[in-house]
Amino acid sequence: MRALFLAGAALLASGCATIQKERGHAEVAALVEERIGRKTRWNQGTPEDAEVARHLDTLLAKDLSSDDAVEIALLNNPALQATYEDLGVSQADMVQAGLLTNPTLSGSIGFPLSNDGVSETEFSLVQEFVDLFTLPLRKRVAKEQFIADTLRVAHEALATAAEVKKTYSQVQARQQLVELRRMVLEAADSAAQLATLQFGAGNITELELANERAAAEEARLELAQEELALVEDREHLNRLLGLWGPRTQWTLTEKLPAPPGEEAPLEHLESLAIRQRLDIDAARKQVELLWNALELSRSTRFIGRFEVGVHTHRDANGPRLFGPTLSLDLPIFDQRQALIAKLEAQHRQGERRLTELSVNARSEVRAARARLLTLRGVTERYHRVVLPLREKVVEQTQLQYNAMQLGLYVLLEAKRAQVTAWRAYIEAVRDYWMARAELEQLVGGRLPSTPGEAPPVPALPSPSPTQGHESHPGHGHGATP
Amino acid sequence: MSRRSMLATAGATLAGGALLLRGGAAHAQPSPAPTASPRAAAKAPARRDWLAPGMPGRDYQPVIVPNGAKLPWKVVDGVKVFHMVAEEVEHEFAPGLKATCWGYNGQVHGPAIEVVEGDRVRFYVTNRLPAPTTVHWHGLILPSGMDGVGGLNQKSIPPGETYRYEFTIKQTGTGMYHSHHDEMTQMALGMVGLFIMHPRRPVGPRVDRDFALMLHEWRIDPGAKRPDPNEMTDFNILTFNAKAFPGTEPLVVRKGDRVRIRLGNLSAMDHHPIHLHGYHFRVTETDAGRIPESAQFPETTVLVPVGSTRTFEFVADAPGDWAMHCHMTHHVMNQMGHDLPNLIGVKPGDLDAKVRTLLPGYMTMGQEGMGDMGDMGMAMPGNSIPMTGANGKYGYITMGGMFTILKVRERLDGEGDPGWYEAPAGTVAMEASLDELRKDGIDVAAPPRAEPGSPMSKLRG
Repeated sequence: MRALFLAGAALLASGCATIQKERGHAEVAALVEERIGRKTRWNQGTPEDAEVARHLDTLLAKDLSSDDAVEIALLNNPALQATYEDLGVSQADMVQAGLLTNPTLSGSIGFPLSNDGVSETEFSLVQEFVDLFTLPLRKRVAKEQFIADTLRVAHEALATAAEVKKTYSQVQARQQLVELRRMVLEAADSAAQLATLQFGAGNITELELANERAAAEEARLELAQEELALVEDREHLNRLLGLWGPRTQWTLTEKLPAPPGEEAPLEHLESLAIRQRLDIDAARKQVELLWNALELSRSTRFIGRFEVGVHTHRDANGPRLFGPTLSLDLPIFDQRQALIAKLEAQHRQGERRLTELSVNARSEVRAARARLLTLRGVTERYHRVVLPLREKVVEQTQLQYNAMQLGLYVLLEAKRAQVTAWRAYIEAVRDYWMARAELEQLVGGRLPSTPGEAPPVPALPSPSPTQGHESHPGHGHGATP
Repeated sequence: MSRRSMLATAGATLAGGALLLRGGAAHAQPSPAPTASPRAAAKAPARRDWLAPGMPGRDYQPVIVPNGAKLPWKVVDGVKVFHMVAEEVEHEFAPGLKATCWGYNGQVHGPAIEVVEGDRVRFYVTNRLPAPTTVHWHGLILPSGMDGVGGLNQKSIPPGETYRYEFTIKQTGTGMYHSHHDEMTQMALGMVGLFIMHPRRPVGPRVDRDFALMLHEWRIDPGAKRPDPNEMTDFNILTFNAKAFPGTEPLVVRKGDRVRIRLGNLSAMDHHPIHLHGYHFRVTETDAGRIPESAQFPETTVLVPVGSTRTFEFVADAPGDWAMHCHMTHHVMNQMGHDLPNLIGVKPGDLDAKVRTLLPGYMTMGQEGMGDMGDMGMAMPGNSIPMTGANGKYGYITMGGMFTILKVRERLDGEGDPGWYEAPAGTVAMEASLDELRKDGIDVAAPPRAEPGSPMSKLRG
């Protein structure tokens, strides 16, 4: 009897677990930092968070780098902050799982309706004890659930980081595309100006003038579209960084970097993905916990409700009685077969989901790698062949212009074609970096031996005035002295 | 049969004109010389219809081919034997412009052939081109089988093979030769030449200087290195003896010389009105021979149609440097581009600065025309020549292409270029002095005047 009380007291003490707010977040921060080198932070309105806000402002005050943008998003992305709260929810569930069902104290008092009796009281303290057997397993399940949730949150953080990187590349590229579009406009504007001058001198028809002016106006509108696209890209990044108000005034001057000279070996990315991807890890944990839940159900299938208690009772005219109570469910009809079947199905489902995720992850990694390598080939082709050729076209056109074989219109057209090639190149470089961010995300972290600092893409060159083969100073040759 | 008696016979027939050499008169010639070899006897006509080979200096005064060459020959058994090799030739059109052409014996055009009426000529033609070829003897009177039209008169000469042409010269004047297989390509690449036929006995006044020039046109884009045979209209290199000014050699004569200028035209698509400054001349011959004196009329410009030759003569009695050129203005431009926007009168303003942000080194050109295009000192495509000419004594000569200079001097030291003409004082146009203007009552500030050219004309002002 006494032992029973002691046991009950110990259980009560062990059940009194508390919730630690920071718990789980440290794990998320570690997981994320291990993979991308930047920490997450859960903004909880504490003084340290004010410090974080100041840090944010410092990052935004200087020229925004890609890594800074990722850091800001991890600190400040509102959706991510909401996701961090999932950890709190999950942790609460875990604590809950560690708690015993509260004991039940019941009492009753009976008053005699006639005058010849005395009132009768009865008290009982009953504790359901099935928990006692299942508690460790339940706690394990809950803990696994918590770990799975932690992994999931970290995965979300990585996904956000990848999207920030992609959007950053888009903004970078768009700024350069706007510049190039402006050059197209300048070329069209110059042609229109020449046409206006020619028309003024009476040398061309109004038709030709109208054609040139229309082309220039169209180029102007295309520039406006491109500028709008830049605003939209910036706003996309603002949303990812969770910025509003004066914080949206950040500047980004860093040029899109050229793809690194050599690509890191991309051989074992599939197994790397299976190893380090957090969503796969989470799915794996999910399968495990479903298995444990199943075990739990199986091991307790014949244990019904199982209550132990003490009760005291005084009869009307008898002595006060005190004694233990025991109540047992008899598992005759419900042996939890339905629950077990459900858990079995869920466990199998979990395994299939894990398989699906792994198979898809491998395929996605292969596709992303192929895309990365192809885009790399494209940018190289542009860099090594197409752009030098376009440059040569402009250079040679200028020589032909000097030799008066063709006019300014053709010269400007050559320049426009060069700018168009550069636009395509910038777009290819942008797509390369986006594919790289995508691949990193699919692999679940940085690519092996990420190449060092890549040089920015070279600026569009202009042929120097001294270029060309020969010049013809006045001719002192020929048959005449 | 002695040479003297041959000459006598020939002289008799010549008196009646070259035509008499053909047909009956020719057939009436005595039988072949006893020295004829068995091979010659087997392939040559049975009856000998030719005279002993005409020799330079004795039987004729050789022509001068400015910038050109002549085809050498040797006499074998009384026959002038030539060897022509059709081959690819690296040719310079003017300093700064070379191109890979097709020609003969390392020359573009082919070396001039110079023979004498009554000569028996034998041409071995070796084909070192990648394509078959033939030689057509343009304007010559000869057997049909020797006429050189591939497929029609003979099998075209395959690459690597050597064919023989042989005939007797039965006429006088200026003929030509050219490929007659895939003419369009082969002639555009340069396979043409002059064929000078001197009379056996002098005709007309004695000539001191006898120049022979072939007119031709080409398409070579600045920076390209081969003429484009596909061009039909837009030729950009126009040449005298395959040279464009300033690559053309001047025609140098002594004052008082009687000068003959022979012009052949084997351009692809253009006739050329050749204009000589400083003189009136008379056209004395076409490719079919001498024009009777009564039919020669004075000219300053002679139109040389494609596929024709024209010969004119004059006495060089006016010393000076006299231009001779095609009068088609686009034919005195080198590598002229015809796709230029018309910028005459355009004032670029800030346009240049604006374009330079995109294209450093840009400069608007052509607002005042093409006159400056020769000496701007700008970077040019490799292998190209300025559109217009060269420096002259008084400044830049804004002429290129089919342009050359007749230099007439009182005295000549040797055969070289005598340099620029020193005009006697007071005979050169120069800036008018204020005194002159005042004396003659010219007010340069006053509105220029013109008078009605007809009673119906209305004039400004």
